[in-house]
Amino acid sequence: MGVLENRFQDNVVVASMDKLLGWARSTSPWFFQFGLACCAIEMMATAASRYDLMRIGMIPRSSPRQADVMIVAGTVTMKMSLRVKKLYEQMADPKYVIAMGSCATSGGPYWQYGYHVLKGVDLVVPVDVYIPGCPPRPEALIEGLLKLQEKIQAERPLTKKIA
Amino acid sequence: MSSDQDKLIAESVEKALQGDMDAINNIEDRVTRSKAKAALVKANREAKAAVAEETPRAEKSKAEEAPQAEQTFAAQVAVALEKKFPGSLDTEDVNGHIQMKGEQWYEAAQYLRDNPDFLFDSLQCVTGYDYGTSEDLEVRYNLHSMTHHHAIEIRIKIDRNDSKIPSVEQVWRIGDWFERETYDMYGIEFVGHSNMTRILCPEDWAGWPLRKDYETQEMYHGIVVPKVKDGWE
Repeated sequence: MGVLENRFQDNVVVASMDKLLGWARSTSPWFFQFGLACCAIEMMATAASRYDLMRIGMIPRSSPRQADVMIVAGTVTMKMSLRVKKLYEQMADPKYVIAMGSCATSGGPYWQYGYHVLKGVDLVVPVDVYIPGCPPRPEALIEGLLKLQEKIQAERPLTKKIA
Repeated sequence: MSSDQDKLIAESVEKALQGDMDAINNIEDRVTRSKAKAALVKANREAKAAVAEETPRAEKSKAEEAPQAEQTFAAQVAVALEKKFPGSLDTEDVNGHIQMKGEQWYEAAQYLRDNPDFLFDSLQCVTGYDYGTSEDLEVRYNLHSMTHHHAIEIRIKIDRNDSKIPSVEQVWRIGDWFERETYDMYGIEFVGHSNMTRILCPEDWAGWPLRKDYETQEMYHGIVVPKVKDGWE
């Protein structure tokens, strides 16, 4: 016998619509499954059974149309940067970007002499969470994802913005 | 009795080692015969071990000779090339590799691949080389023969302002991507290549990254290329 069972009449739950939406969005941020370099290996490890991203509601999607979060995992070359931008533009709102590892954050080891490495993915798409590391451990990635969930939860999409 | 037996075994093994197996087979006592055979096996094994001990020394002396032999081989190839294509060598001085001129390279490549003495059926690597901002460029080909297990390096210098060289894509199919990569990094144009485009950099990239005088472009499709975030270092 559960605590709540058989104790109520027909009922309503009262919640702020903003919070309800935020709760729904933050607990199922499906991420776009694509990797660019060694960070992708850590991302795969995070999604696999030992760290199990699905327990925080994250499911890898193979299409940008179905994804809410883009994890830029790896070195973004100038050639790839145009593609990354295009993929980001194909995602449906609301959409979020995580820059995983030092390459996606700042160019990483290619910072000074990498002649065609993009010096941070924030030059082409807006980034929500930066995760340092080369590559970051799965724990670090999960920490970043939880930070992103906090951020999504704190959003108030319906409230009229007062300038 | 046992000393007699030992003597008999020793004698028959001695004879068997010299090729007379009957000496052992004719021993009447079965136990003695099998003991003699065991002794023969042991003697054979010891003889083999002694030979094996000697071989490393023999191999070592072989290895010492090897570099000399390779040099001679490169010189052989150079001589054959000079004979077949007079004036195709850039310098007669063969020091492990062959320095050629570009004009007859396509024909020379076909010759190196098809000549039964060389049979260089495998192009292992094509790479570029920049000697400096006012010096020549160079293309280097590493050839290997699957049949003869020998290898050679061909180097061809070209002018950096008119960097053209015959393509050997039709000779070795692997040359397709090798040459495209060399073109991508050094701007060396391989004349006769079926698809002479960049392979790694974007198609509309400016400049040749591995040349000594390369300078990175400032903008690429509205994106800043060099490092821009000041104060990070």
